[in-house]
Amino acid sequence: MKTAMNDSNEVLIDCQNVWKIFGARAPAAIQAVADRGLSKKQILQDFNCVVGVSDASLHVRRGEIFCIMGLSGSGKSTLIRLLNRLIEPSLGTITVKGKDVARLNAAQLRDMRARNIGMVFQSVALLPNRTVLENAAFGLEVRGVAKDERHKTARAALEKVGLADWTARYPNELSGGMQQRVGLARALAADPEIILMDEPFSALDPLIRRQLQDEFRQLTKSLGKSAVFITHDLEEAIRIGDRIAIMKDGVIVQVGTAEEIVTKPADDYVSDFVAGISRIHLVKAHSVMQPVAKFRASHPQHDVEALLRTSPDADIGELIDLTMQSNRDAVAVVENGTVIGVVTTRALLRGVAGTPEHEPAAA
Amino acid sequence: MDTSIITDRFDTWTDDALAWINDNGEWLFEFIRMLLEGTYDGILWLLQLPPFYIIAIIAALLGWRLINLASGILAAIALIFCAVMGLWAETMSTLALVATATILALVVGIPVGIVAGFVPSFNRVLEPVLDLIQTLPPYIYLLPAIALLGYGPATALIATFIVAMPPAIRLTSLGIRMTPREFIELGQASGLTSWQMFTKIRLPFAIPSIMAGINQSLMMAFGMVVIAGIVGSGGLGETIYGAVRTLDIATSINAAIAIVILTMVLDRLTQSAARRAKAGGR
Ligand SMILES: Nc1ncnc2c1ncn2[C@@H]1O[C@H](COP(=O)(O)OP(=O)(O)OP(=O)(O)O)[C@@H](O)[C@H]1O
Ligand SMILES: [Mg+2]
Repeated sequence: MKTAMNDSNEVLIDCQNVWKIFGARAPAAIQAVADRGLSKKQILQDFNCVVGVSDASLHVRRGEIFCIMGLSGSGKSTLIRLLNRLIEPSLGTITVKGKDVARLNAAQLRDMRARNIGMVFQSVALLPNRTVLENAAFGLEVRGVAKDERHKTARAALEKVGLADWTARYPNELSGGMQQRVGLARALAADPEIILMDEPFSALDPLIRRQLQDEFRQLTKSLGKSAVFITHDLEEAIRIGDRIAIMKDGVIVQVGTAEEIVTKPADDYVSDFVAGISRIHLVKAHSVMQPVAKFRASHPQHDVEALLRTSPDADIGELIDLTMQSNRDAVAVVENGTVIGVVTTRALLRGVAGTPEHEPAAA
Repeated sequence: MDTSIITDRFDTWTDDALAWINDNGEWLFEFIRMLLEGTYDGILWLLQLPPFYIIAIIAALLGWRLINLASGILAAIALIFCAVMGLWAETMSTLALVATATILALVVGIPVGIVAGFVPSFNRVLEPVLDLIQTLPPYIYLLPAIALLGYGPATALIATFIVAMPPAIRLTSLGIRMTPREFIELGQASGLTSWQMFTKIRLPFAIPSIMAGINQSLMMAFGMVVIAGIVGSGGLGETIYGAVRTLDIATSINAAIAIVILTMVLDRLTQSAARRAKAGGR
């Protein structure tokens, strides 16, 4: 199951109050932001500059898949390109593996990009004059790894993404989904600790896409990589991400696990995103249960000890199954042997619909 | 009255200047002439070494590999026809002239084009110069060349070289500048050095454009063949020029046909090579 906390809490990427402002008068706009804290709209009016990323702070831990979600133009690509300094930040600091990225000289930056941070592009960007194998080996070739060795590694990476039989083909002989996998294999073969992915699957049809999402998550986890994954599709973010950041107009409006975002959206923008999402596998018992005392008061006829039992991490789907199995319309939530709460049918319905909690009108 | 004084003045001034350049730069022009004619003689010697049917077979093989069998056979027949007309020696010396001028144009043009592709300010200065070269009637280039290098193939080569160079520069520079943005980004994100970015990303993407430039340079060079006949280029150009002066229309038409054949064969071959480069560079 997805957990926010992983085996290690080491922070690999740390962004502190990062801004990116585009435009001829960007320096003046930045000054104004630093001095007076202007808004995106004011900056566009006063300086004719576009704010790509506005005061973004986030951190990515080792082994974590961190999703960035937002509508088109919300600054996702700008933010991810700041992480490996394809774009220079206007303000703020970005630390990767404890090193301030802005302070690296050209050689150090090249080295960091070649060894520590891989990138997979929406456009895939496979070199058309190279075979699949040579494309997958590109990152190693750049680092000067000998041909035999880099082809061996690339072949292994292609095997992982299920393309072992396609090594001698050229990119134009592959379908879009297969090309995306080559892009992923290219990033994996270079063996970076962090993989940046900018909407890698958005051009694919839903079936292949779902398959690649699962493969990607499973691969990343089994190899112990960390990833920053951009998408404009919340379902994709929920499927893949350990944590999700939601962006709007360059601002990160909320960061949290899928469940946190779905159950406690920070504002109307997030609520709108969340509205169409199925909660059945997202909302867990601990967020819909009510205290035992309250249950006893409202349901004096029930014996709490006689209810079916489950853990706080059981999702609504499992709770529904349990409720259907029992002849009572409630399930007890148990942690370390003690009942910590009760989930009623009413609470389940509320969890599915996402309606806020309030006292039922007296029947 | 007045104007003739001015033109007389100008003429003496030009003559003096040319005489001065000739006196002081004689060693340089002699060197250039030897270099040009040496290359030309070498290529010509190579082309005349085998009998005509061997050259025709080579053309057939190239046509077969690059286009298809029918085109290969057609190319061979067309070349044999040149020999049948009794113009084989002339055809080969025209080919040598065009090849020499084109090779020189590429040797200079491709590196200049690469620099222009990387340095926008240089490209901005270069563009109007290339425009000018391509706007002026090509006869113009014969004048300084004949004044400095004298009558003969060297002069024809220089003029042809000047005319053939602009497309090579332009299309190389274009190819370098046209690298898709996503691949530049791939290069940056993969930690490429500038040199790796050039050899692994920019150059491969520029190859189709450079190949198109080679084809166009070659065609421009062929366009100069007849004009260069005036200054003693030898080959078909001179044959046509001589035949026209003596009103020997039949010979001039034969020579013109030979030029057309040679041009078309080389155009088709280089174009297919260029198309191949575009199709994936395999
Ligand atoms: N090089 C640039 N120059 C000027 N403005 C830019 C530049 N790059 C991005 N922007 C602006 O920054 C904002 C954020 O763009 P960005 O590409 O990061 O959005 P995005 O969230 O990735 O959108 P999409 O989902 O469409 O890819 C947009 O308003 C865009 O116009
Ligand atoms: Mg984007």
